[in-house]
Amino acid sequence: MLVVELLFAWMLVIAFLAFIACTFEDLESDVGSQSNPNSQVQLAAQVGQVHRFFNKAISGEPLSNAMYCTVAGTTAWILLQKLEPIVPDAKWKAAVVAIPLGVAVAAMIHIIFSITAHCGRTAGQKRFEQPIYLDVLYGHLLPIATHGFMTTFCITSIAYIQSNLGTLAGDPRLNHPFALPLLAFIWGITVGAIGSSTGDIHYGTEREFQDRPFGEGKRVVYHGKITRYAECGVRTQKDIVGFCAKFGGPCTGLTFGLIILFENYRTLIGMELARFLPVLPADLPFVPDVHFATAAGNMSAVWGIVVGLFIIAALLVGNMVFVRWVRKKYGPFVGA
Amino acid sequence: MALEPEMILIVGYVVIGGLLASLGAHLLPVGGAPAAMGTATGVATGTVQLMFGAVMTGLFTSSTVSSFSNNIWLVAISGAVGAAIMITVVMFMANIMYVFGCGIVPVSGRVAVDPITKEPQTPYKTPQTDGHGVPNVVFISGTMGGFVGGFGGGLMYFALLFYANFTYVTAAIAALSIFLANAILAAYNIRGTTEGLYDPKFKRLPKALVSSLAISVLAGIVVLLATIGLPQGGI
Amino acid sequence: MTVTPAVVEEEEVTAPKKGLSFKFPFAETELGLIAGILAAIITIFTGLPAVIKAVGMLLAFVWGADSVRKTSKYGLGTGVPSIGVLGIGYGVIGALMGLAFARYGSVEGIFYPAVLIGVLFMGGIGLVSGYFSNNEKFIAMKIPRLERAMMELGMAGTLVILLQFSIVTGSLRFDAVVDQVMDTGVIAFMFILSCMGMFHPYNACLGPDERRERTLMLSLEISGLISIILGFAMIVLGTSPFGLWDPIALIVFGVIVWVVFYRRFIKACMKECYATVGTGLIKTIG
Repeated sequence: MLVVELLFAWMLVIAFLAFIACTFEDLESDVGSQSNPNSQVQLAAQVGQVHRFFNKAISGEPLSNAMYCTVAGTTAWILLQKLEPIVPDAKWKAAVVAIPLGVAVAAMIHIIFSITAHCGRTAGQKRFEQPIYLDVLYGHLLPIATHGFMTTFCITSIAYIQSNLGTLAGDPRLNHPFALPLLAFIWGITVGAIGSSTGDIHYGTEREFQDRPFGEGKRVVYHGKITRYAECGVRTQKDIVGFCAKFGGPCTGLTFGLIILFENYRTLIGMELARFLPVLPADLPFVPDVHFATAAGNMSAVWGIVVGLFIIAALLVGNMVFVRWVRKKYGPFVGA
Repeated sequence: MALEPEMILIVGYVVIGGLLASLGAHLLPVGGAPAAMGTATGVATGTVQLMFGAVMTGLFTSSTVSSFSNNIWLVAISGAVGAAIMITVVMFMANIMYVFGCGIVPVSGRVAVDPITKEPQTPYKTPQTDGHGVPNVVFISGTMGGFVGGFGGGLMYFALLFYANFTYVTAAIAALSIFLANAILAAYNIRGTTEGLYDPKFKRLPKALVSSLAISVLAGIVVLLATIGLPQGGI
Repeated sequence: MTVTPAVVEEEEVTAPKKGLSFKFPFAETELGLIAGILAAIITIFTGLPAVIKAVGMLLAFVWGADSVRKTSKYGLGTGVPSIGVLGIGYGVIGALMGLAFARYGSVEGIFYPAVLIGVLFMGGIGLVSGYFSNNEKFIAMKIPRLERAMMELGMAGTLVILLQFSIVTGSLRFDAVVDQVMDTGVIAFMFILSCMGMFHPYNACLGPDERRERTLMLSLEISGLISIILGFAMIVLGTSPFGLWDPIALIVFGVIVWVVFYRRFIKACMKECYATVGTGLIKTIG
């Protein structure tokens, strides 16, 4: 028996998890310098500025996050295959055990890749006299792993909920057609793409160049000359994450949360408006079949598209109003 | 499986999807590493990564829709809208980050006057930079890029699902692989940063489209041959 | 798992060490030829135990990582990862094509020569894309020998994916692969970890003092990690014709490869970097 309220409730849970996931994803890329701002950390030694940053150049954020989430998803799937037959009546018990264990495996892989990236990149910079500081190497591993754990845990949970959404809401025919590891892969890529495109700005533009003038784009001559001193002593990545947690991280989390919310919301609203939802078609197959369609199904796709177009138009107009307001408030460039 | 006329459609849709992937990648405002320092206009990530993230979001919705609809246009447009929502939210939030986190006004570095809102750009720009933030002209180009790219991805996914009779996951992974190859070639053509539609680099588009066409035709033939070579009854 | 007999371990220990002693002195071309041919032969014979397939996978990874390295040295403009992802993207398409033709001339469960059609076709596509990327009239990347590198990447990617299919399913039948690899979602794991195995080595070691041997060690290390998790997936799917010993041997092999090359890599890095210090202030202060 399908309970529509439950579908919406699970959607909100997913959006909440997405918010947490992307917040920590951004902070994870700050606690071990990764992705685009890392080019400055890489450049710093070349322009003669030896530093104590953690150069975590695993890859771009989308691919590395997809890796952690997919490893977690695959391990969780392996465990679920073994554990679910033990508790056939209460499969959630299997998930409660499998997801954290899978994520723990992903955290270990995360640490392994972080070490190889930091050591490899630093060894590749021998001629710039950049040493490997062992306290920097060891001291950052646990923060990296824990921040990554949060992200991966939330994403794996999202993937689990989505691949069992129908079962959880009362009708298994509404489960997402993709398997758990693939959903983890998809959201891993997306969470990384968003974390890298939104969250990095706060780290790269503001925190990495904090001793430069505020309120202007960082000029090309500043590149590589990153801020190397903290409020007290020499700066490491741990000083950065506390700063970014106050604005960059939550903002990034909001981005991903909104995307997940909009995406799921418009699909569900479309199904509701087209009268597809409360009573599913009786012949809807258990294994999703692409050749199956009803008029109500097609109409729900149309409604979903219409709602989505409204959201896009609202954001377009919102950005225009916002940019106009900012220009009026901030005024033209007045510095040197 | 014997060659049926509608299987030729697979090649057609794969080629269209590949070309749209290339076009979408060219339309996206990509700032790359300089944008993360507020030195270039656009979203602070690479072309491939942004396109990948957007298309993944679109693909998720496409696959949901394809489980209760069999209309190729509905599935593809659902994916397009999903990708466009992802891009617009990202660009909007990036602007919020630039404005409230770093005190920077969104400014285009390539045009002196915004061709859409007619706002002047140059006085607001920091010297020695290439613009910063996501101004309106770039925002619109990016939305178009996300829409076009998502449409291409959804189209390819559905063609593989419906005409080649792949399973859901197989179709998703195969569509993704072909899409990625095209997006990466487009990224090589762009080389670093671009502002989308109004960027001089956009004029290089035909070169990438030709390469993309060649790759997509070959990839489409591969999928077609795979479909024909399959044991009876599809996968 | 704790009851693994020592015999199995001893058997596997020899494989990676041998590889290290005579593989690395090879130049790029020789490495490509040897790794490619060996990996192709191992791909065809699917009746082999998973450990031997893992050795083939390891060779293909080294080949791919070497191709990424020689291309990315010249700067791609979009970061190293893109070219590795390109290789695996081609690899997935090529593997699908190879699988579709696998049944021609095959001996069920043992010998599938026709899968190499996919490898060759992907080499062709790689060549075409390399031509278009490098040609003055088109994308004009102007990277020496990009055509060959992209061709090698396509072939190495296809071999890697095919070998992983063959490890997990124990055969190369299309329906088995779709059931056990695609629909379960293990393909996502293969896709992303293979990408990592291709591009992470060079991406992680990037810099003016990068050294080829050190970079390639990392690729071996990642293939060890992949072997471990694929071993667990094999246990769950229960597809091996040799029973439970096959995945356990694979896991042991993976652990050994990983430990050996991880230790070597970290030691090499710490020895070859400017200095390894416990702690210290940065140069300008003290």
